[in-house]
Amino acid sequence: MARKTNLYDVSKCIACRACQVACKDWNQLPAVIEPFKGNYQTHKDTNGDTYTIVKFIEHEDDPAADVQWNFLKYQCMHCFEPACMDVCPRKCIYINDWGAVLKDYDNCIGCQYCSYACPFHIPKYRKRQDIVTKCTLCYERVEEGLTPACVRTCPTDALQFGDRDELMQYAEERVKFLRVNGFPNATIYGKFELGGLNMLYVLTDSPDKFDLPVDPKVPGQIPFWQNWVQPYLGWLIPLALLGSATSFVTTRILANKHGEHGEGGHE
Amino acid sequence: MTNHFIDMKNTDCALIIGSNTAENHPMSFKWLTEAREKRGAKIINVDPRFTRTSARSDIYAPLRSGTDIAFIGGMMNYILENKLYHEEYLRWFTNATFIVADSYDFNDGLFSGYDLAKRKYDKSQWAFKKTEDDQYEKDMTMEDPRCVLQLMKKHYARYDIDTVCKITGTPKNKFLEVAKAYAATGAPDKVGTILYAMGTTQHTVGTENVRSYAMLQLLLGNIGRAGGGVNALRGESNVQGSTDWALLFHIIPGYINSPEAQKHPDYATFLAKETPKTGFKVNTPKWVASLLKSYWMDDDPEKSYHYLPKRIDGKQYAHIALFEAMYNKEIEGLFIWGSNPIVGGPNANKEQAALANLKWMVAIDLWQTETSEFWSYKAMDRPTDNDVYKIKRPEEIDTEVFFLPACSSYEKDGSISNSGRWMQYRWKAVDPVGESKADLEIAHMLMRRLKKLYEGSTKPQDEPITRLTWDYGDSDHPDINKVARDINGFEIVNGKPGKQLLNFTKLKDDGTTSCAIWIYSGCYPEDTGNPEKDYLARRRDNRDVGYSDVKPIGSYLNWAWCWPINRRIIYNRCSSTPEGQPWDMDRVSIFWDGDAWVGNDIPDFGKNKDPNGPGGRNAFIMRPEEVGCLYSTCNEGPLPEHYEPWESPVKNLLGSQEFNPVVIEWEPDKRGTSDKYPIVGTTYRVTEHWQSGVMTRMQPWLAELVPNVFVELSEQLARAKGIKNGREVIISTTRGDIKAVACVTKRIKPMNIQGQEVHHIGVIWHFGFNGYATGDPANRLTPHIGDGNTLIPEYKAWLCDIRRA
Amino acid sequence: MKVTRRDFFKVTGATVASFAVVDLGFDMTATASAIKGTRTNGVKPVPSICPFCGCGCGLVVYTRDGAPADGPQLLSIQGDPDNPINRGSACSKGSAMFNLREIYDPETGKQIINPKRMAKPLYRAPKSTKWEEKDWEWMLTEIAKRVKETRDKHFEHKDKDGIIVNRCEALSSLGGAALDNEELQLVSKMSRSLGMTFLENQARI
Repeated sequence: MARKTNLYDVSKCIACRACQVACKDWNQLPAVIEPFKGNYQTHKDTNGDTYTIVKFIEHEDDPAADVQWNFLKYQCMHCFEPACMDVCPRKCIYINDWGAVLKDYDNCIGCQYCSYACPFHIPKYRKRQDIVTKCTLCYERVEEGLTPACVRTCPTDALQFGDRDELMQYAEERVKFLRVNGFPNATIYGKFELGGLNMLYVLTDSPDKFDLPVDPKVPGQIPFWQNWVQPYLGWLIPLALLGSATSFVTTRILANKHGEHGEGGHE
Repeated sequence: MTNHFIDMKNTDCALIIGSNTAENHPMSFKWLTEAREKRGAKIINVDPRFTRTSARSDIYAPLRSGTDIAFIGGMMNYILENKLYHEEYLRWFTNATFIVADSYDFNDGLFSGYDLAKRKYDKSQWAFKKTEDDQYEKDMTMEDPRCVLQLMKKHYARYDIDTVCKITGTPKNKFLEVAKAYAATGAPDKVGTILYAMGTTQHTVGTENVRSYAMLQLLLGNIGRAGGGVNALRGESNVQGSTDWALLFHIIPGYINSPEAQKHPDYATFLAKETPKTGFKVNTPKWVASLLKSYWMDDDPEKSYHYLPKRIDGKQYAHIALFEAMYNKEIEGLFIWGSNPIVGGPNANKEQAALANLKWMVAIDLWQTETSEFWSYKAMDRPTDNDVYKIKRPEEIDTEVFFLPACSSYEKDGSISNSGRWMQYRWKAVDPVGESKADLEIAHMLMRRLKKLYEGSTKPQDEPITRLTWDYGDSDHPDINKVARDINGFEIVNGKPGKQLLNFTKLKDDGTTSCAIWIYSGCYPEDTGNPEKDYLARRRDNRDVGYSDVKPIGSYLNWAWCWPINRRIIYNRCSSTPEGQPWDMDRVSIFWDGDAWVGNDIPDFGKNKDPNGPGGRNAFIMRPEEVGCLYSTCNEGPLPEHYEPWESPVKNLLGSQEFNPVVIEWEPDKRGTSDKYPIVGTTYRVTEHWQSGVMTRMQPWLAELVPNVFVELSEQLARAKGIKNGREVIISTTRGDIKAVACVTKRIKPMNIQGQEVHHIGVIWHFGFNGYATGDPANRLTPHIGDGNTLIPEYKAWLCDIRRA
Repeated sequence: MKVTRRDFFKVTGATVASFAVVDLGFDMTATASAIKGTRTNGVKPVPSICPFCGCGCGLVVYTRDGAPADGPQLLSIQGDPDNPINRGSACSKGSAMFNLREIYDPETGKQIINPKRMAKPLYRAPKSTKWEEKDWEWMLTEIAKRVKETRDKHFEHKDKDGIIVNRCEALSSLGGAALDNEELQLVSKMSRSLGMTFLENQARI
């Protein structure tokens, strides 16, 4: 089956954050209220009850030109080759037949290895259920002939859903148009990154201006997990099941090695 | 709005000034984006701060808050000097050709006729010249030095680019870029739209700001046309309706002046004074008689006219005046229907202190608002002990407070009117929470009890209540369709409601028709017993059918209903040439087909009035002169003139008159000066919250998006004051202090004003002490000073200082 | 208890079926047929208009019949695809409309009535530091008494020049911009019949 995906065209986004709210409405997610830290982007990152966020990033390269205020919808990229899937000890992450990377929450033990393995640091732990969650591309809506909740609600059609091939065509034309209309560095993101993402971005500038990794990589420890730990996982699972505390600690240690990622703000 | 939201897709250029439309009216960007993608339209944003709107605009120009007239005056000067105006449109559809009386003059910031003691003008000095047979004197060549166009040229010649940019702080290249791009819409086949909101109106010169936009639009021939107009983006879902229904002191429903005792002692005098001799408003007596009949059906209008309260001539009753009166213990009881003045009102500390002087208050809302709990301990919290207005403890407050829980919009039935005047119905989907009730029910239940209390009274002063027609059902549950039929109007047969009226053209002045609000007449034209069909606000046919083979323009004439008589773009006679042919075949509104006006909208003109016959080019039928007003009679003068805000960091560069000469100064001692308060402060909203925040701070999904009150300031100011991003700061004015979180941003820059560096800060005003997201109300900082015509408070430009908390 | 994806389907499966008809494209029959479809499966889309800014965006309130005593149960609120103004979309405020009535509890994830919504009339006595719950009849009766007292005490039938003025300047009213037109009609009529001159709404601020 052809890949289906979301395309996000930042040149049309007004950062109203309807996508963030509609996602919560459809996925029945409670609010996670954190204090304001000096940037409109109140959530620095996704969390167990927040699958998608909008980043707000300020840039000023040329003091004579206007400041750039870049917005970026940030969520699971539904990688063609998801590192999260590779590391999952319970093999509860899979790719469906049109390219959504999904989790079987019944089998998730909340170990957060997926969270650590993700080059975009997306899956997040949800304490109340002891599971790790993320965007599902609203696969259940899509399979009923609907668009994902975020796409449905987008006022300016900055978000579109459809066949990845068709959206890629649109993206290429759009980038061409933007390059001659004031955005010489406009580019597509998601075409080649990590071998392809099932989430396409049309950016008005280079990815670093949008807080996206220019050349995303799977963390170095992943091959170790795949080659050495996973084959022996059978005996690790009972350990992981001891509870979220243990696994949380392990992941935290590994995550710290991985370093800070996706720093928002503009201080 | 003269036009409507969908119509924005028809524009060639949108000038967004005094509005942050991407944030506060996000859906407008659906249509502006379409205009840009499909028509190559340009989007211009002029704003003190770089907002989400600026981020999606093609041109952004900063200006200092409170200098719109200088900016627009400069644009008009550019257009007049370079003859970029739409000449045919000006000649026929505006008063550019009118000759002004010799008494008109302008000198050093003041027009002729100013009375300093009264702070008022004698407007008769600005009159037009008339011929002996009482016709306006005109010069169709527009070259007479006393014609409006030439007087405008002279007036705005002073607004040269250097002067303008020194006042506004806009970089000259940016100003020119805006002027050029927007002036291009003066070509007959191009159309530009102006989108504005409270950034325009909330100034001591708010009305004149709007006037200057209207003039710019007339100069460029952009009013009455698809993709054009002067579009006030309304901030509340039905503030259009509440204005139409005149929950305002100065008018009665349908934009008719409310009676004043001396001026209008009886019905005949009222009609004589309020009915112009020409223009469509000659029908005023029909509207007033029908309104009176809908209130008091069993009495003649001559008698029931006296049941309407008459105000004291010239007395101010506007929001600020109301709270000043309350502060001075002149008011005993207050009803609050879903409003939160101690967050949303100006000088909120004073307004809170005023509430404690009430004997009783009734608050009707979905939530506990800050206002309904103004007497509580948490209402006393302040970041410093600077207590200018002596906020009282609960034990010292005698006010009785009655809180009535209202239900939400989808827990009841009813219609609302959007900013484009579309009256759309919403159906009840779920039951009200707990014992909460619709405001309709609450008002009905209360009035039934009041009528009962006054039952049997024979005192003449009780007649307004005892004689009141309140025919909405015999139980505590009112019949909404009866209310809707009352709104539309009906014939009165033998003292009882008869047939519904087709629309306001059927209203009579002899007491034989009833209509609660003439502009809505036509929304329920027939009673077949099936309200789903009869009440046109409920229509859901969303096919955009064009007239004959003319391309449709997004009028959606069968979707819901729109006042007046379903007309989607008002003044649409101007969409055609004086001879009646469309200016632009791509965006046809209405045109003359030889016998009648036809097209994609309901004509705002006599249906069969020949464009080449008498009056066939008098496009602005609501005006007595039937033309658009470049020259008008606002309280400040016939042409908008730049004055500094009441509190300003600089002198007025254009004249020795510092601030608006006709404003009322309520608290002269509270006027902050730049030696103590050197920073320009302004307030605004964000997408994620709404108005005083009670509706959104109570919603966790929105509270998490903007959880605290924040103040935006430049990196330069933050450095100078030692303020760190994300840390708390105190902002002070003469009215009080608030605490907020600093949002240090590259999107605000210090401005160069007359060679001096001026800093700007902005605070969001959605916050209060209740809800999932809490914080100090920004309006504790704003002054009690209002516009010279409407008294809307100057929220948008005041002086303050800021420091680390 | 863990809410699995499958559980979620059990709850909303029927909803999904009716959502399908209304979502894709811009089709005037969409909501109508959705309503028809839902009569058979118990999910009902009810058209509404957003109560926030003046855009007038259409919303669809999706409900499902609960136990007879409970009335319809709220499922989700999304943009109305039939409304030409917004064509199925909504901004963050419009998208959050579900919260106007109900929320998901952050501790349990359960759908509950928004605890901030007021469900009962409340009265605050002079000098009191707290609210007291009262019934509607008591409230309306007391309010009507206060109105009459104030009106009768401060009413001016004629001014000093003998002109009939029928006004009461000690009574005042604020607000209305969030009310429905039909409600405004009643409030406007009531306020004027009481003689109010201090009559204002949010249009002035």
